[in-house]
Amino acid sequence: MDALFSRLTMTGASAMLLLALVVMWRRHVPAYVTAFRTQSVVLAFVGAIVAWMGEVPELFLVAAIILGLKGWIVPRILAGMEARRPDDRGLRPLVNTEMSLLISGGLAVAAYELSRPLTEVVSLPTRSGLPIALALILVSLFIVVSRRQVIAQIVGFLMLENGVALLALLGAYGVPLVVELGVFLDVLLGVLVMQALVPGMEKTSAG
Amino acid sequence: MTPIVLAVTECLCLAIAAPAVVGYVRWLKARLQGRRGADFLQPYRDLRKTFAKGMIIADTTSWIFHLTPCVVVASTVAAAALVPVISASQPGDQLGDLFALMALLILGTIFLALGGLDPGTAFGGMGSSREMTVAALTEPTLAIAILSLALTAGSTSLGTITNTLLTTPANAIGPGHALALAAFLIAMLAETGRLPVDNPATHLELTMIHEAMILEYSGPYLALLEWAAALKLTLLLTLASNLFVPWGIATSLSAGALALGLAAVLAKLALLATLLAVLETRVAKLRLFRVPELLAVSFTLALLAATSSFFTR
Repeated sequence: MDALFSRLTMTGASAMLLLALVVMWRRHVPAYVTAFRTQSVVLAFVGAIVAWMGEVPELFLVAAIILGLKGWIVPRILAGMEARRPDDRGLRPLVNTEMSLLISGGLAVAAYELSRPLTEVVSLPTRSGLPIALALILVSLFIVVSRRQVIAQIVGFLMLENGVALLALLGAYGVPLVVELGVFLDVLLGVLVMQALVPGMEKTSAG
Repeated sequence: MTPIVLAVTECLCLAIAAPAVVGYVRWLKARLQGRRGADFLQPYRDLRKTFAKGMIIADTTSWIFHLTPCVVVASTVAAAALVPVISASQPGDQLGDLFALMALLILGTIFLALGGLDPGTAFGGMGSSREMTVAALTEPTLAIAILSLALTAGSTSLGTITNTLLTTPANAIGPGHALALAAFLIAMLAETGRLPVDNPATHLELTMIHEAMILEYSGPYLALLEWAAALKLTLLLTLASNLFVPWGIATSLSAGALALGLAAVLAKLALLATLLAVLETRVAKLRLFRVPELLAVSFTLALLAATSSFFTR
């Protein structure tokens, strides 16, 4: 049972990391939004798995909120922003695609190396996913600093948030419900505020 | 005695079956595109015809040009001898492991590039430079993808990797295995010059890589190179099926197990070749400057596979 639990969470975590790599490889902003939506759905799936197999029923609620908020509402807001934006397909990332991918690979290796002491302390069956969650955080951070389109940066930031949520899920079976709800509100508010700021940010970053 | 006979038979089987695999892929592609297509024996007829022809060799060539076909064929056949085909426990394993296999493959690639450069024509040089761009990323990807399996199995011997996966099938569930398989398949497409990296069906100068390098070859040399290319494709397909999905391969040397192993490997080859033909019908060729991006994706996948299998050991 534990082995299955471990395998399932690890597969989910790896899928999330791969979806973050999609941002490096694709050039279309809609593809980034789709990647983020899928990643959030996978995160909800991992949450449900932890709730079910780790026997933490309140996580079902968290998984449902993730599915609704990050899997539906936030991607819709992002898609709306994208539709109102001028075409900027000519904007190249600061680091080219090959180098981005290789750096991401390097970051993943670094995350594995850094989280080795962590996996030795934690005794939960989900511990083998911890390095992947850390890798996801590092790769998302890299997306934020290396992309030039503002929406891609927002997607990177949201993926970073997904990574933190994944780390909490795998490392401690989630944080208390109140904190989790606060974080969700923050994310929603953050995206709404960014939505208002995007036109100004576009002007400064494109110049 | 039996193991030696088996090893030689396996190598011969691969060598003889290789043109048929290529012929099958071509036939299926033709059918999928609404053409009738030549049957799967056509590559054998082409080879016989090309072998019988005379050679025209440019005056500017040196001995490298003549050595290349021999080295390419020899290294590919030697690599084929190392791959488990019908049986997982074969003496070819003692000849060399994963690293020997990769070294042999890269030896062939390097000589092919040298052969393309040697006559001093623009096309050959262009093909060689492209091939080196591609090979610089595909060879390590193949090696790391197999290495991630080797890390799980605790041995770099190809036979042992197959055997370990058969005895502990749980290793196949999880991200490492899937990532390694994806990386291996992408790198394999690039390595054997298939779509979306290179188009094997055309001589259009803007797109070709492999065809550009062998443009100056004719007659028996050309036949040898084409046969080696077919063998390389078959070898990598067999490797993919037997390392990643080894079920059905013979683990003992009894006649029944060997027959089952042969049937299994034929079925897996047919399935993979079918997938290859469908893929080549569905995708368009990538722009040359986007090819390194695809290869960087596969390299990153292989790297992730290797690290994840290293830490979940």
